[in-house]
Amino acid sequence: MVNFTTLDVFWAVAFLLLMVGGAFFFYRLARRSESDFFLAGRRLPWWLPASSVFSTHTATDTPMWVTGVIYAHGLRGLWYTFFSAWTAIGAFVSARIFRRSLAYTQAEWQTQRFGGLGAELLRGWMAGWQVFMNMFILGWVGIAMGKVCALAFGWPVWVGLVLPSMITAVYTLAAGYWGVVMGDFLQGIVAIFAIVLVSLVGLSAAGGPTGVTERIVEIGQQWRLDVFAFTGWVDGDFPIVWWLTMLVIAVIGGFGMGTSIDWYVEAQRIQSAKSVRDATYGLWAGGAVTLIRNGFWAAGILAFFSMLPGIANAADYELGWFRLGFELLPAGLVGVFFGAILAIHLSTISSHLNLGALYFTRDLYQRYLKPDASEKRLVWVGRASTFVLLVGSFFYGLMMEEITRWLIFALWLMMAGIWLPNILQVVWWRFNAWGYLAGWMANLGVSWLVVWVLPAFGVIPKLPDHLQFWLLLALGALVFVPVTLLTKPEKMDRLVRYYVMTRPIGWWGPVHRDAVQRGLIEEAPAMKEKSRPLIRRTWTPEQADDWTREDWIAVILSPLVFAALMIGVTKLLLLQPGGLWLVLGAVVGTAAIYWVIDPKLRAVSTEYEAKQARYVEQLEKRLRWQKEEGS
Amino acid sequence: MERGLVTLIGMSIAYVASFLGLGLAWWSWRRRQRPGGDDV
Repeated sequence: MVNFTTLDVFWAVAFLLLMVGGAFFFYRLARRSESDFFLAGRRLPWWLPASSVFSTHTATDTPMWVTGVIYAHGLRGLWYTFFSAWTAIGAFVSARIFRRSLAYTQAEWQTQRFGGLGAELLRGWMAGWQVFMNMFILGWVGIAMGKVCALAFGWPVWVGLVLPSMITAVYTLAAGYWGVVMGDFLQGIVAIFAIVLVSLVGLSAAGGPTGVTERIVEIGQQWRLDVFAFTGWVDGDFPIVWWLTMLVIAVIGGFGMGTSIDWYVEAQRIQSAKSVRDATYGLWAGGAVTLIRNGFWAAGILAFFSMLPGIANAADYELGWFRLGFELLPAGLVGVFFGAILAIHLSTISSHLNLGALYFTRDLYQRYLKPDASEKRLVWVGRASTFVLLVGSFFYGLMMEEITRWLIFALWLMMAGIWLPNILQVVWWRFNAWGYLAGWMANLGVSWLVVWVLPAFGVIPKLPDHLQFWLLLALGALVFVPVTLLTKPEKMDRLVRYYVMTRPIGWWGPVHRDAVQRGLIEEAPAMKEKSRPLIRRTWTPEQADDWTREDWIAVILSPLVFAALMIGVTKLLLLQPGGLWLVLGAVVGTAAIYWVIDPKLRAVSTEYEAKQARYVEQLEKRLRWQKEEGS
Repeated sequence: MERGLVTLIGMSIAYVASFLGLGLAWWSWRRRQRPGGDDV
């Protein structure tokens, strides 16, 4: 148990009041409409979604998970945490496309991209899945908090599960997404302050950067200081093929929607931004701060390892970051540290409560049960479903304490099977709802066979994770590719409407040509020019709608900047060679991306905002099963 | 509990939730395809 002084209690309570009170303040805004309750009226400047992206990427169990991979793998463990780099490309590709769709959720986006019965079945399927997933995540992070409270106060686990979640539910119920995002902003500041502080205190306690590295070399573990400490091409516990697989999943996943489990949460943040440009910068900056956070964490956890290198049990060393904070910080700051843990927890709980309620309200209740519901009733349903999700999460958390770890693993595998369909739905016009639905359903059986049944009967050996991923991807493709090609493409009217509205990247040639013939867009104005500057910095709206070399420069530079930031921060904190250069390189890279892409994003945003009101009107008509003009 | 069994339980709950949503969408679609029903 941790010894709390009066000063610690004061700070913990003060932070709690600030975070909860600050969020509750927005009660009046949230009750105005469904759009306010779930998207803050689509009026947020980029830095608010950015802080929310960071906060939602920092869940209650994230400190344990990051500590686990760094303690077990040393600095190469940073690559496990690089999964959030999907935001590097996602910010410039999927965020732009999704923001232009104006869809509240991924399920709603799919009924714009696809049509007919297939799209409706897909929307119902996705919404049911998401309501479950958010309840499950709430239970899983609730249990993590229960364990932290048991460590800190000796409370029974259920108290730590129920109490903080109920506090969060008060402002989430009252202030909806306004409360979530404002809370995330305050909580994000508190969390990043504590993460930086604890890492620096940990490094200092371990004898400073030199003391940490010397101690690690002294015990013959210098490989832990190398981010590229591979165990071979295919052998060992960190082979190059596994590293490459992780990079592909994370980085290329940015071209799709739903390739990371975090996409669904961030989709709400993307849609709440006030413009396409703000959505892009919000996702990019949130992802960048998340990776900087990983850099700080890694240095602190390596310091913890240098002090206590012999912990064999994962459940013990995973608490390393919490131990650094609770055991090393002086009186007063322990309360601040606990306030930060609360901040991390509150932001996670509030986000998933609001997101689960969004899928229920928008995609199930409004679309299928009560399309003509008033705004007042929709806000009421949003609040009621928030409450049901909260209560459900308590049951989940208490029942599933034992099986959570396997479930997370199972969910990861299921994501592996639909990783490619999640990209194809964005980049390939011919992919259809039946193909996507078939891919998702087939994955249930296929993942079960590959991971458990066939190895158990000796048909195939137990495969390493990276081979499981590629095999699941290939087997899934054997189902969804034939289903797609044997069923009709989506109707051209729908595809053209979606194309003109969102201007997706990839293989959309037939749809593009049809849209040009109908006079809805111009024939690639940016491509027609005989000469153009190497980097264009003045754009007409029509030129900016095309995907050009400026976008590709941002897409290529962005993951490199993210990697340099993450590794550079850790190396700099450990005073390793190259740390400063990597950080400086990342700063220059960021400036270059901004210089190249900002004029284009401004042009895209200006043009799109002029049309947005009409698009919103069409979207609401479609949601209520009403015919649109001209459709 | 055995790893395979608990995973089966967890995955089954997830898929039951998804099928419920799918069923609701199917019911709503059918209702709107009837003569006199709304359509999009």
